[in-house]
Amino acid sequence: MSDAAAIFRAVGLSKNFGGVRAVKDVSLAVAPATVFAIIGPNGAGKSTLLNLISGVHPPDAGTVMFNSLDVTALPPHARVRHGLARTFQKIRLFKQLSVIDNVVAGFHARHRIPAWQYVWHGTAFRADRARCRAEAAELLAFVGLSGRGQALAGALSYGEQRMLEIARALATAPRLLLIDEPAAGLNAAEVEALLERIRVLRQRGMAVVVVEHNMDLVMNVADRVLVMDYGEPLFEGTPAEVQVHPGVIAAYLGAES
Amino acid sequence: MSDAYSAAGRARWWGILAAACVIAVLPLVFRDSYWRTNLIVCALNVMLAIGLDFVVGYAGQLNLGQSAFYGIGAYVSTLLIMRLGLPFWPAFVCGVVASALSGMVLSLFAVRLRGHYLAIASLGFAVITYQVLLNWISLTQGPLGIYGIAPPPPVGLPGWQIDFTDLANLFYLVAGFALLSYVLLDQLVRSPIGETLTAIREDEVSAASLGINARLWKVFAFAVGTAVAGGAGCFYAGFVGTLVPDAFFITESFNILAMVIVGGMGTLSGPVFGAILLTVLPEFLRGIGDLRLIVYGLALTLVVLFMPGGIAQALRLARDRLMRASSRQTAGAKP
Repeated sequence: MSDAAAIFRAVGLSKNFGGVRAVKDVSLAVAPATVFAIIGPNGAGKSTLLNLISGVHPPDAGTVMFNSLDVTALPPHARVRHGLARTFQKIRLFKQLSVIDNVVAGFHARHRIPAWQYVWHGTAFRADRARCRAEAAELLAFVGLSGRGQALAGALSYGEQRMLEIARALATAPRLLLIDEPAAGLNAAEVEALLERIRVLRQRGMAVVVVEHNMDLVMNVADRVLVMDYGEPLFEGTPAEVQVHPGVIAAYLGAES
Repeated sequence: MSDAYSAAGRARWWGILAAACVIAVLPLVFRDSYWRTNLIVCALNVMLAIGLDFVVGYAGQLNLGQSAFYGIGAYVSTLLIMRLGLPFWPAFVCGVVASALSGMVLSLFAVRLRGHYLAIASLGFAVITYQVLLNWISLTQGPLGIYGIAPPPPVGLPGWQIDFTDLANLFYLVAGFALLSYVLLDQLVRSPIGETLTAIREDEVSAASLGINARLWKVFAFAVGTAVAGGAGCFYAGFVGTLVPDAFFITESFNILAMVIVGGMGTLSGPVFGAILLTVLPEFLRGIGDLRLIVYGLALTLVVLFMPGGIAQALRLARDRLMRASSRQTAGAKP
């Protein structure tokens, strides 16, 4: 992949927590309409890398480029406006809000309402509201939560909450979606449904970065795989290459390489 | 979906119309000056409570400084009138703006602090404001107070003059502004801004992942909530005619918070009822002397323990039960 084609590029990202090197000199590039997986054993720095990409932590070194725009200094909320959305490893829904309101909250940066209509709800306000509700309902249907719109988000099952979080992230109309540990806590059927949705998103041209420590899952959907170990990039390639790479096998099985 | 929304919207406007009718009738029912005075206090407290609820109940920022913003509105407008000879309404605008600006300053702390820490910082702000009012004697006359503050000037209509020395007219004015504030806040919380503030209350990290600039919206919430309190302060000065710092002591902050909690945080109608109840209840309990404080405290504890959603929750439960009972009746009627 040529760099020009990449929607997202990170160069030389490093992050230390105290004396611990969580991420050390990681570079990666993600093209549109691809699924890019970041895998590695627990504690390999995957989630930290995701937090560097989404802006939760500022990196100690390195740059984050999005659409050939340097977003390294931007806080997380500003990156969303450039088309970067994410989900969380530990689900962070608005549990006191209804399912549909969770998704509607994701439209924050996309409302088209003149300022005065926030005080006096006019035609543009109603049109915007109808548009957001309709789009939110579509997104809920997309993740298989049709008919659950009025339930409280906290009342959903774990698997449904994961899907709702993805629907909420999609409401920001991202071009790059970061999904942190999607399979954690899901049963086999739910994982399969999730992978199917990710494939559809790729088909629509979205770039998806999946952080996962379950290697089998990633092999089914990823186009490119970055293997991390002890905060450092160990290997990057196609799933087939990763599966036979002796260093990766060593990292996972603890064998001598 | 949108039908349900517009139906709820229509129901809301009927509710507001009903409130306007109640406001119109109240001074006709209560004709003695004692109860008319209480009516005005109710209207002032409604403004304070809904303003605080916007910050605490919706944006989730525990603000214990509402008494300070009340006081800033009162003192700024009064001093502008008494010292600089400004007319009431320009002074009113200045009082509201001064309150909102100080609210925005406090909200800058809310960016760094949350939960209990923000509560302490805002309480500190209320203490400092109180101490300034008390000790800047050359400006505020400290504990001696400012006397002889005129009520808002009469409004002249062709062939008819509305005079605000009359308590009924003053009540109409203050209650009218309380209703206006309510409608304004209600429109805001039912717009996407309501979802944005709730998102910040529920989870700031998550809100940021949706593009929400929590810092900006906290400043906004504080500005709006404290502006309403400042407006109440301006009316308070013209209504009582006397300003002493003790009226804005920190206990007032807790009283206002109690109104919000008893009424139901995160709903706008709840704090309206909370404000009215906690203004009127102590008046009824005056007969039992200091025992009323125990009754008051007990009532507050019981609400928090058994009805954490406050009056708003109680009303919702009652309505649901009523609807269920009526649907059961219609179901039973069918063979």
